[in-house]
Amino acid sequence: MNPFILTAIQAVTVLALAPFATGLVRWCKARLQGRKGASPLLPYVSYATLLKKEMVISPVASWVFHVAPFVVLASSVFATLALPLVASDGAFAGLGNFILIASTLSLGSVFLVLGGLDPGSAFGGMGSSRELTLAALVEPSVIAVFAAFSVVSGGSTVSQMLAAAGMGVLAHPGLFLTLIGFVFVLLAENARYPVDNPATHLELTMVHEAMVLEYSGPYLAMLEYASSLKLTLFSLLLANFVLPAPLASTGAGPAMALAAVLGAVAKVGVAAALLALLESSMAKMRFYRMQEYMTIAFLAAFGGLVLVLV
Amino acid sequence: MGLFRFERRTRGGFIYMYLAKLWGRLFFGPKVTEPAETFLGDKNDELEKAGEELAAVVKDLYGGRSLRIRAVDGGSTNAEEIELTALGNAYYDIERFGLSFVAAPRHADMLFVTGPVTRNLERAVKTTYEAAPHPCIVVAVGDGACTGGIWNGSYAVVGAVENVIPVHVKIPGDPPTPADIIRGVLHALKNRN
Amino acid sequence: MPFMLSGITISLIGVLVAGALPLVWRNLAGHRAAQAVLAIAAACGAFASIAFLAAGTGPSTVFAPASIPALRFEINGLSAVFLAIVNAVACLCAIFAFRYVEKYRQVYDMPSLDLGVALFIFGMQAVLLSTSVISFMLFWEMMSLSSFVLVMADRQAASRKAALLYFGMAQFGAAAILAGFFLISGGKPLADFAAIAGMAAALPPAKITLAFILFFLGFGSKAGLVPLHIWLPEAHPQAPSHVSALMSSAMLKIAVYGFLLATTSLLPPLASGFGLSVVIVGLVTAVFGIVHASVEHDIKRAIAWHSIENLGLIFAMLGISMFAARNGMPLLSEIGLAAALFHAINHAIFKSGLFLSTGVIMSQIHTRDIEEMGGMAKRMPYFTAAICALTLSGAALPPFGTFYDEWLFVQGLVGHLAGSGPIVLAVLLSTLAVVAFCGGLAVFAMTKLFALPCLGQPRSEEAAHMKEPPASMNGPILFFAAAGLLAGVFSARILRTIGFADLIHADTFLSVATPKGSVAPMAAFALMAAVILGLVAARRVLGQRRIRTYHTWDCGQPITPRMEYTATAFSAPIRFFFRSIVGIRKTVVVTQTGSGPLLVKREMTLTGRSFWLSRVYEPLALAMHKLGDNARRIQSGSIQLYLLFILIALGATLLIAV
Repeated sequence: MNPFILTAIQAVTVLALAPFATGLVRWCKARLQGRKGASPLLPYVSYATLLKKEMVISPVASWVFHVAPFVVLASSVFATLALPLVASDGAFAGLGNFILIASTLSLGSVFLVLGGLDPGSAFGGMGSSRELTLAALVEPSVIAVFAAFSVVSGGSTVSQMLAAAGMGVLAHPGLFLTLIGFVFVLLAENARYPVDNPATHLELTMVHEAMVLEYSGPYLAMLEYASSLKLTLFSLLLANFVLPAPLASTGAGPAMALAAVLGAVAKVGVAAALLALLESSMAKMRFYRMQEYMTIAFLAAFGGLVLVLV
Repeated sequence: MGLFRFERRTRGGFIYMYLAKLWGRLFFGPKVTEPAETFLGDKNDELEKAGEELAAVVKDLYGGRSLRIRAVDGGSTNAEEIELTALGNAYYDIERFGLSFVAAPRHADMLFVTGPVTRNLERAVKTTYEAAPHPCIVVAVGDGACTGGIWNGSYAVVGAVENVIPVHVKIPGDPPTPADIIRGVLHALKNRN
Repeated sequence: MPFMLSGITISLIGVLVAGALPLVWRNLAGHRAAQAVLAIAAACGAFASIAFLAAGTGPSTVFAPASIPALRFEINGLSAVFLAIVNAVACLCAIFAFRYVEKYRQVYDMPSLDLGVALFIFGMQAVLLSTSVISFMLFWEMMSLSSFVLVMADRQAASRKAALLYFGMAQFGAAAILAGFFLISGGKPLADFAAIAGMAAALPPAKITLAFILFFLGFGSKAGLVPLHIWLPEAHPQAPSHVSALMSSAMLKIAVYGFLLATTSLLPPLASGFGLSVVIVGLVTAVFGIVHASVEHDIKRAIAWHSIENLGLIFAMLGISMFAARNGMPLLSEIGLAAALFHAINHAIFKSGLFLSTGVIMSQIHTRDIEEMGGMAKRMPYFTAAICALTLSGAALPPFGTFYDEWLFVQGLVGHLAGSGPIVLAVLLSTLAVVAFCGGLAVFAMTKLFALPCLGQPRSEEAAHMKEPPASMNGPILFFAAAGLLAGVFSARILRTIGFADLIHADTFLSVATPKGSVAPMAAFALMAAVILGLVAARRVLGQRRIRTYHTWDCGQPITPRMEYTATAFSAPIRFFFRSIVGIRKTVVVTQTGSGPLLVKREMTLTGRSFWLSRVYEPLALAMHKLGDNARRIQSGSIQLYLLFILIALGATLLIAV
């Protein structure tokens, strides 16, 4: 199959799946709390509603406020195009270098932070300060996690890492620690428990939500969609590292592509259910204990890297 | 005590044991709650029906089942706030109708205003309304918000929410029950159509 | 290539003319003429050095007086890279100074400032072209002394204090370098570098070690490596902003050049322990620099601390390069060197831009405290867009040039992990961890540097009335911002052009790096741009476009700038997490203000105590003081005793002579 078609399939699948992932986590959490919960499809409707609403923007806000949603969403879309989520070798697989992807996502975080600070509200400042601290401290773990995969597979793009044979946890037990490190990174990057409470209405405990408090209408839809997309892409990436199949590739036919799309849906479903279970079982950590969390994340990731090397 | 022990255990590195125990109890332990039918009877149906209808109306209005609510306290006795909190619990579970509470007026489609607007909070009510993107439905929850209640005419209050911002829906009661609130929202949305 | 060489000669002469002009016309016209000449001369020099690099010719003599062979000027690939940096920065700083210095006519003595700047630039150019010990040291001192004078250009007590500290450290460094030269040349000041290299090859290892330590101390003190960094965050902020830019982007690079000169062309190939020590010092420097840059709320000091981090990184890259060369990893060695040089270029670009921006800010609000700024993005969109690009570049985020050099380095480290021995592995892994850590915190420090001054509401009356600077000041800053971006987009081309300083074989290096993951910077940039444009287009088609303006949501109580997050609050988590490094103590003073016990006023102050200052420098100073006190005892004032001393000294001298 043409790599461009593969990339298109992947982009459409992941972009379409993103709101579902967020909705599914919420739905699973509601079920675990004994509630019926909102339909997992609610985020689609919410985003559509937001797109139709007017925007209320503070006179304090400058050009940064208008630029931020585009850069934030673009960074996630960039990663969606370059990473092997549904297709193993899309047209932009060469750009799936882990450092480039990590830095591009960092660029998105930075602009989210800037957008939070721009209207001059104290909540935004608080959320921004915390988000930026987390983004800064999680960076070494991200590098260590992918370095371990890179060492084992001998490749530097995520596609090469997945394509390499003998990548399993059984062949390299050290990768188990790396995967734990990756889960820590996933939770921190996506502002989930125990780093952040995605459902909180209490400004003092917010991280991600506090930054988008000033956004409304289409911009809010873009930012919320971007965070859904990021969650989806991290879940798929984790799932692919655990089970790098079924993935569509240039050598495969339409049946394989269909299997890959269905596989992606299943992977997102499992990841969302596990995430909901995890979030229902533990409390959010105090922000000033984040150094402990980050230290554990780094030790896990780094330990994995050391184990695969020796 | 239980919390304290949990804290000590996690510090001691036993979090995996804790999780295993918790999940064991959750998934394999005995059910400690009664099924809803045994204590609800047909009271539930009424709520369910109102909720379903509400969902349908919200769908008409916004092209989908999503309505985001921001609650504003205009100086209430907090009786209404307790009922609003109850909307989110497992019994009423307002989320299943596509309604949810949000953290900022910028995100809201609907405002719940409670209490006779006191002079101190008059500005807060007004600015919250202005800060919300329009169209924004304003619901006055409780007698205080609808008419000023027993405080009406006091020098300390402005009175009904109407005196400050346009009100689309009034839900009387001191406080109104969560079912009243759901029904009131439904009624008003219908009439607005 | 005579036209390139004459371009460099023209730039040297032009800079000297620019220094002399304001002495002839001691008025505004003189200043303007001087800056114009300086800008043109430096531009000539920059183009000539780039053309020299592009042509890829070997070392060429620029200027050789027949009577004084020690003053022969020669350009080679390595010095051309640095010469291009110095000249390009000097050119844009001169354009910036055109109007900037005018605003400070009352504060600075313009003719001496302009003369100082010209001599400073000339010193740097000449150091790069020098081929003998005496001319190197002469122009090195010219550079140090003129910058020492420039630091205290505003003649304030704080500046004088900072300048004296700088002077002390600079002289210590110069003495170490001179001692290093003399150690290998056997005390011959006129020795040619080629001759010195020959002598060094015959030296015993102990002397080589000592010479290396002396060079490392000397160049390290100039580059601001820990623990010799203490002058940098004091001296750089006190200088006028265009001088800060020159000091930070050009002068620190001269130290890198000096170190490279010493280790690659003078000393024989060094054992891997030397490389390792450079790596360790570099990494410690980077950590200290970046943590301090994250918590600092004096805008120029924060940028200066960030320079320390960057220089630490450059030295860590160089150290890895030296270490890898001796451990059978030639590719990593070249990658380290390439990354260091490219980082030096990128650092020069964004750091000059940032220091020039502080000049714009300070010329309008007259303070360096970020807590007094805010709201600039609303008032000066072009200027803040430039700062935004510069800080993103400083944070090593794509698509800016800095990202690609750090990417190259990290990729190189990761690519060499597999299959290396335990010691090499430990070195590579710890370098990787520390570099990633510093990269993360650099994002924090740089985002803070942009966000707190530029976003939100203005926190002071002056900040509320800021305006876009004139084009001659905005232009250079915008140019640096664009250059940072272009350095990223064309990073492959730049790496090939500097390809490299006769030390790196660019072609092998680029092709070997490919299987280990080469990112086409142009493609990455194009895809990112396409995605953003696609989103903008989608936004135009889809969604509501009505916008209503209403003040920031305030929970019912009007928001004032005092409620905003301050720079101190913003960095509180970092300060808390790294309190052992930052060494900031919080003191809360409670004073009774009313009748009841509850009516109290609380005042919180954060006091910073530098670890190195309190643990190393102050005990040292105290010990010196004590020694002085003890020495005073022999100063009894009795003439007999002094005569005895003279006698003893004479006897000792005779003893040694015989």
